[in-house]
Amino acid sequence: MIGDILTVAVLRSGIRLATPIALAAIGGALCFRAGVLNFALEGMMLVGAFTAIVAAFWTGSTYLGVLAAVAAGGLIGAIFAFFYLRYRVDLIIMALAINLFIAEMTVYFLRTFFGAFGSWSDPSIRQLPDIAIPGLDRLPILGTLLSSHNIIVYASWIAGVAAYIVLFRTKFGRHIRAVGENQSAAETVGISVPAVKLFVLVTSGCLAALGGAFLSVGHLTLFTRDMSNGRGWLGVTAALFGLNHPVFVLFAGLFFGIADAIAVRLQTVTTIPPSLVQFLPNIAAIVALVLVGLSGRLRWGTLRLRTRPPQPMAEQVDAKGP
Amino acid sequence: MTPRRRGQILDALLIPILAILSGLALASVFVLLSKTSPLVAYRELFHAGFGCATLTRCALFTTLERATPLIFTGLSAVVAFRSGMFSIGQEGQFVLGAMVAAWLGYGVHLPPVVHPTVILILAMAVGAAYAYLPAILKLRLGVNEIITTIIFNNIAILFMTYLVNFPMRATRGSTAVTPVIDASAQLPEFLPGSHWGAGFILAILAVAFIWGYLWRSVPGYEQRMAGEAPGFARYGGIRSGRAALRGMLISGALAGMAGAIEVLGVHHQVLQGFSVGLGFDGVLVAILGQVHPIGVLMVAVLFAGIRLGAQIGLQITTNIPRELGGGILALIILFVAARSLYTDLLAWVARITGRGAAPRKEAA
Repeated sequence: MIGDILTVAVLRSGIRLATPIALAAIGGALCFRAGVLNFALEGMMLVGAFTAIVAAFWTGSTYLGVLAAVAAGGLIGAIFAFFYLRYRVDLIIMALAINLFIAEMTVYFLRTFFGAFGSWSDPSIRQLPDIAIPGLDRLPILGTLLSSHNIIVYASWIAGVAAYIVLFRTKFGRHIRAVGENQSAAETVGISVPAVKLFVLVTSGCLAALGGAFLSVGHLTLFTRDMSNGRGWLGVTAALFGLNHPVFVLFAGLFFGIADAIAVRLQTVTTIPPSLVQFLPNIAAIVALVLVGLSGRLRWGTLRLRTRPPQPMAEQVDAKGP
Repeated sequence: MTPRRRGQILDALLIPILAILSGLALASVFVLLSKTSPLVAYRELFHAGFGCATLTRCALFTTLERATPLIFTGLSAVVAFRSGMFSIGQEGQFVLGAMVAAWLGYGVHLPPVVHPTVILILAMAVGAAYAYLPAILKLRLGVNEIITTIIFNNIAILFMTYLVNFPMRATRGSTAVTPVIDASAQLPEFLPGSHWGAGFILAILAVAFIWGYLWRSVPGYEQRMAGEAPGFARYGGIRSGRAALRGMLISGALAGMAGAIEVLGVHHQVLQGFSVGLGFDGVLVAILGQVHPIGVLMVAVLFAGIRLGAQIGLQITTNIPRELGGGILALIILFVAARSLYTDLLAWVARITGRGAAPRKEAA
């Protein structure tokens, strides 16, 4: 039974399915490290998925589509940073508004430009090709698992390692963490807090949008309404589960990806209703959060998210004083 | 009324109005993309959302019908926010309340009045129980409630999909739907042909109740203090954990009730894909309504009207996709959140015209 479900093929598909979640999670972890709550990952991913396929269609090149998606995600991150830094917009309210705007307007554009309803594709759009890694692809099981993926899958691994190096091995990374841990202290020693926050928001936008591009031109070649389907939020969860450490976060994303792949597999080999199987990643996420909560009692208290619900503005104005 | 209080009310009304106008103005760029005049589009939108030709052909009644669940989920969000919990779990609680109503509506046979009353109470209990989990995870383990409530929403929706497709499925037909509930369980309607009815009265009562609870009762005061000034609340001897938990239970009960009313008063059964975003809109209604019950009442009607107007007026009459309605709402929220934009704008206008009071210094 177990051997039937946890096959090499399932693990390989888990690694692929982990890609968008892991990319969003690495971006989320960078933001959380800088003390910025980025709950717009879902919308950033969706904008990436949409832009990638539309740009691939218009330019005729899938790689240009992916680049356009990364640029679009970065742009959303920059807009987010602008409103946050210049106008002190509440990050969570802003994120909810951005997520809603992107979810509605991608469908709006789909209908206006392509006359498509639920989903859209075009035969001229080519899927991202798989690239075999010479040497690695000849190893028995490891080759099947790790080789012959498309470029975004490899990019997600590189992003995890790169984010680790930036955060923990460079001066700029120390600055990012300093801003997250004690913003006023960081300001005092001359770190440019707005620059750090702009950087993490734009980078996380690029990464989440790259994950979105994986969905629309890497995994499939179509766009559907609400294609990100909660993967951005899973990315937030994976970032917390991975204690905002880029390499752990990569594995947390892998965990959710494999749970997803097992859910798909269970649907084909058993008669369990699909909606019950799809509980799996959600239950896994709750368990992960409880574990983080329990460990938070030990020494990772600073890594937990603190959010404050919206307050009516009259009182906020008062709080600012005369 | 003191001048300060008058200023607060002016602020609370002026900024949403400016935000609505800015949202509509920015969205008109997208209207132009579909080669329609924004003025024509917006006239259709507001006509189809708020117009009233005759008593029998009145879009406003449909808007009020659709505003009913939003009032409840909006209030649910207000109570949670006011207790310091950023719960966006209304969707899940709403779905479970709806399933309770659908199941007891045909599964149990009771006399009229008693039947809906029993269902509403149980739906509230289920909603509250479902809000208890993220509340306790937050209070005991510090698990962020935004993320847990989103996951709990997913779980509830998957559970509903399972119930509607398998144990509670009415027929072998192509659409998955539960049996129609007994006539004894259905809520009365004001006008034949419209589902605007008793649910709306309950919503108004809920607005009054929540206002009284938050601003005229001791537990409500404790809860607001726990939400706004946790340190002060603790110093004053308020057990803020208990107050927050109470807020979450009330919040869950309201959202569960919203789901039950939607089934008892409007659909009389649950279809697959029921409640797409209805609960989530409650969070946005609460934010736009200044986290205040009266604001929620006004904004819920606005929300429902824009969504209805986009669906009927835009999509059917002018062929503009109805998603523009949601886009406009998102922009309005953005502009409300970026309210210091307007003080900047005023300062800029004052500088250009060279008169007016000194611009207010913003903490930007």
